[in-house]
Amino acid sequence: MGRGETTGAIVQIRRRVSATAEQIFDLWTKPDLMVRWMSPYPGAVDCKASCDLRPGGHFSLVMSSAESNREVSGTYVQVDRPHKLVFTWTGPLTNNVETLVTVELNPRGDETDLVLTHERLPTPAIYEGHTKGWGNILNHLADAVSKSF
Amino acid sequence: MIEIEARKEAASRTARLDAVFAALADPTRRAIVERLSRSEARVTEVAEPFDMSLNAVSKHIRVLEASGVVERHKKGRDHILSINTHSLDEVDGWIERMRGYWEKRLNAMERLLGELKKDRQMGPKDRKRGSR
Repeated sequence: MGRGETTGAIVQIRRRVSATAEQIFDLWTKPDLMVRWMSPYPGAVDCKASCDLRPGGHFSLVMSSAESNREVSGTYVQVDRPHKLVFTWTGPLTNNVETLVTVELNPRGDETDLVLTHERLPTPAIYEGHTKGWGNILNHLADAVSKSF
Repeated sequence: MIEIEARKEAASRTARLDAVFAALADPTRRAIVERLSRSEARVTEVAEPFDMSLNAVSKHIRVLEASGVVERHKKGRDHILSINTHSLDEVDGWIERMRGYWEKRLNAMERLLGELKKDRQMGPKDRKRGSR
């Protein structure tokens, strides 16, 4: 993939999973399976997923508990069962800024190597976010410094 | 082994954060960062608003470079300074936060795979009967 100079941050996780690539791919793309592991909220949470599994199709995962209602959503960029799934991902954890998730599945006998890559995209919004981020850090530092004197 | 690696990574991360915060704990350097967060700039442009010698400003810039907050590249004869956005990714904890999130999700995914496997192991008898 061609990358410009200003790439965003990247988190990459590799795991050997004892399941076939097909089984894992379905966990990521079938709503009834998605709701069984994707929600980070323990306990009684009503979790609904919908997905239109094709490039350009939309997915969403809504988790509602007594206190809060959160939605993670995005658009599929590449759907290549069972090898690769690429989708945009926006939610509270990304400060509602669009990010990109790539899941690659490489069969290793009975097992599968899963490589998950989550990237912050180098968009103007990210740049603004960074600038704001710096502003916040600078403000916090200024506060801390002024309090310590 | 993995634990030792993780600890080493955490230690070097702490050292990098210390360098970032030390670099930012100075009003001149914060002003330089603020200037560069608007756009990249030549060293002379960065130095202009300060009531100090170019040499003195350069020293501050070197501290920011050493911490990884500021990067320098050459365009012709000019030295261009810019913010290294990756250093902020680390400061604002995005990488740590997302790594923690996905590790937990993948643990949950593997737990579910285990449950589904058990279901399947219970299943085959019924399926055999069904196909005949």
